[in-house]
Amino acid sequence: MLPTIFYIGLSALLFVIGVCGVLLRRSTLMVFMSIELMLNSANLALVTFANQRQSLDAQIMVFFVITIAAAEVAVGLALLVMIFMRKQTTNIDTMTTLKG
Amino acid sequence: MELVIFVITAIVAIIGAVAMLTSRNAVHSALFLLLNFGAIAVLYLLLQAPFLFAVQLIVYAGAIIVLFLFVVMLLGAERDEEDANPIRWQAPVAITMAVLLIGEIIWVLVRQSQDGLARVGSSDSDFGSPAQIAQALFTTHLLPFEVASFVLLTALIGVVVLHQRRS
Amino acid sequence: MTQISWLIALIPAFPLAGFLLNVFLVRGERANGTVASLSIVAAFITTVIAVINLAGMAAESRYIAITLWDWLAVGRVTVSFGLWFDPLTAVMALLITGVGALIHIYSITYMHGDSRPGRYFAYMNLFVFAMLILVMSDNLFLLFLGWEGVGLCSFLLIGHWFDRKHVAPGIVPSEAAAKAFVANRVGDAGLLLAMMAIVSHFGTLSFFGSDGISGFVSKLTDASFTTISLGAFGSVGLVSGIAFLMILGVVGKSAQLPLFVWLPDAMAGPTPVSALIHAATMVTAGVYLIVRTHAVFDLAPDASGWVVIIGATTALIGATAAVTQFDIKRVLAYSTISQLGFMIAAAGMGAYTAAIFHLLTHGLFKALLFLGSGAIIHGMHDIQDMRRMGGLRKHMPVIFLVYIVGALALSGIFPLAGFWSKDEIITHAWYSAQNINVTVILLLSSLLTAFYMGRQVALTFAGDVRDKDAHPHEDLGTMKWPLYILAVASVLGGLMNLPGVHWLNDWLNPVLHQEAELFTLSMGIFAAVTVLLATASGYLGYRMYSGAVGARIKPGDEDPAHYYLGDIWKGFEMGWGLDYVYQRIFVKPYRTLSTFLHDVFDQQAIDGILVEGSAGMVGRFSQAVARIQNGNVRTYALVFLIGVVVLVGYVVIGA
Repeated sequence: MLPTIFYIGLSALLFVIGVCGVLLRRSTLMVFMSIELMLNSANLALVTFANQRQSLDAQIMVFFVITIAAAEVAVGLALLVMIFMRKQTTNIDTMTTLKG
Repeated sequence: MELVIFVITAIVAIIGAVAMLTSRNAVHSALFLLLNFGAIAVLYLLLQAPFLFAVQLIVYAGAIIVLFLFVVMLLGAERDEEDANPIRWQAPVAITMAVLLIGEIIWVLVRQSQDGLARVGSSDSDFGSPAQIAQALFTTHLLPFEVASFVLLTALIGVVVLHQRRS
Repeated sequence: MTQISWLIALIPAFPLAGFLLNVFLVRGERANGTVASLSIVAAFITTVIAVINLAGMAAESRYIAITLWDWLAVGRVTVSFGLWFDPLTAVMALLITGVGALIHIYSITYMHGDSRPGRYFAYMNLFVFAMLILVMSDNLFLLFLGWEGVGLCSFLLIGHWFDRKHVAPGIVPSEAAAKAFVANRVGDAGLLLAMMAIVSHFGTLSFFGSDGISGFVSKLTDASFTTISLGAFGSVGLVSGIAFLMILGVVGKSAQLPLFVWLPDAMAGPTPVSALIHAATMVTAGVYLIVRTHAVFDLAPDASGWVVIIGATTALIGATAAVTQFDIKRVLAYSTISQLGFMIAAAGMGAYTAAIFHLLTHGLFKALLFLGSGAIIHGMHDIQDMRRMGGLRKHMPVIFLVYIVGALALSGIFPLAGFWSKDEIITHAWYSAQNINVTVILLLSSLLTAFYMGRQVALTFAGDVRDKDAHPHEDLGTMKWPLYILAVASVLGGLMNLPGVHWLNDWLNPVLHQEAELFTLSMGIFAAVTVLLATASGYLGYRMYSGAVGARIKPGDEDPAHYYLGDIWKGFEMGWGLDYVYQRIFVKPYRTLSTFLHDVFDQQAIDGILVEGSAGMVGRFSQAVARIQNGNVRTYALVFLIGVVVLVGYVVIGA
């Protein structure tokens, strides 16, 4: 069994890559994918800790995260399609209705 | 042996993530993401989570990535970042912050690695098996399990309603 | 025992109920008056029952105490909402509820047709409630609540006609109310400081404690050598300091030198208010305070000496000022100041029983005089200037009769109430205190009292009506019986404490521990001389102003005596010019400062820099911040990330 820190470090690296994706990419689809990447890195951390502590609870939690992620992707992509139909683009910078 | 598998898998995962991030084409990105998900699934096996390994492959690799590809191709949005970036200062600040964040995480890991991350208990070969997961899911976590089914149902209905043509 | 305790709690409860009913439920002038009067009558009956019960108790533990609830508990000091009913409280409560009830009944007719009867009667009830709390509280803090409560009601009732810009004799009610309030504040600050000193040194504000001996009063003797350092001003004895601070409160509330200036102006209120608040009850609160805390003054002879000086001087100033007034109520107002001076002087000399005796009799006959003058004003259609009166004896026979009784009682003519009580004070000054200066001053004041009452009666009732446009009539309504009852009481009031019988003295003995003084023949002769002098002085006053001098008085003219005395007379008329002095020393500089602050400080600094400047800065800052709200989701996500980094950094690095 490898030290926990290896997995956590990998998880952190993937998470930060996901963060960069959210912040830097301007296609809504890419932002979405980056979010999925962040979710996965969190899942990896959870499974690592489950293994370290020999407790199933974190694995159960990952199971639920995957479930919710599936639902989220379905709804999110549906919304994205709606937005595309209205604006003819998926560029996130065109969505500025929150402007104060 | 384990270390070799981990290193190879980790490198694959990182390459997948970075390639996803840098790829100009959304279809390529989705495929790189698939690569990353597969690598993580392998890591699940290493971490005694065979059930999650299966779920990861089926749900993420099988369903979600396919959905992504489907939508990208449906919309023809493979290249949708051609116009100029309206906020120029975003990129440097974001990268700085990301570096700071990973620095903080490393700081924590280094400080905690002595005792906080030590293994607990002895290894159980049966740990994380589908049987054990099922045991926990249908006893201790039955209520969240049922709630999750409602969430899925709600998402289903929500998507249907969203795409209903308004008369 | 417990039932009796609840009985005394009922005494203030009735006026409070009357106040609440009049404020929230009862509408209509008739109903307001009835509810208010009934509540005070009920309180009076309850008081009588309580006094009868009290009389049946053993003399050494003759008190009823009840703690309704713990009011404030701050640190080691606990202030309870506790009532205390001992012989001293009993006589005060009898006076307040008895005279109060009569004045309420009187008000029904007097205030008929007023635009705000509900408000008037509600405040009157509230006043009686506060006054009862003042005299019935078992600790200084609750007393202070009543003290401030009566001050508030005084303010509200002086300003009852706040919408009138001008009432006789040229007072603005709203300004008079504010003046009374401010003058009282000066005194109240002293009382508050006294309370703080007591709390910090004795740890309790209770007079006697629930067992009668654990209050601060019993601890005073131990502290008689404690001193307080005043920094560069040396040091002062603790008890003396407390006493001096209390004197401040007393001179404010009881309209003594140098704070009496508010009382003459307080006559801007309706006359029954003047009778109840500014003659019979509230202004006597200072006397009550001294008598209640007499242990403090017993241990502070230097403070007591000042009390005597203040009281005697005020008695003389009040009497001289009363001589010169033409407004019928202002005469009585200065007279009240003068008589309060008598009481304060008596209290300062340690003649607490005499002070309370005079307080009670004065409450009766001064209420009678005020109500009588109110009836005159009512019958003259709001004319208060005595130069426009005269000859009212023919038009108002009943009022004339009762007014004569009141005037004789105030003048100290044998055998009416005022004679006994005032004589007791002067006799005490001469025989027991052996203070010749005070005796002379008080005697002089007493003679002046007789003189100005004779002058007033002559100006009001003798001869013919000087103002031909006035239409005097006598229409008493519910005013009649209060006048009769008070007239009888003014005649018989002296019975309370006749020499040799001294019921009041015996009654108050458990509280004041003062034996009645032995009556000697020389005292009798002394009294006979004083009463002869007073009679002569009163007759002189009457004779002058009904005869040759009175004939020269015309509406709007100076008093003929002004011709002989000139500026001295003028000075008397202005109440020895204290108002003028305050105007120059306090009011004018204050106005100047206010104008400066308004024009320069407020407009330039406050408005210019603070208000508009800060608003401008916020506006500019907001515009800058608003640019962050560019509506771009990625920027929001970046800000979110910055927040995460900072928070994680704080937790990680800081831990």
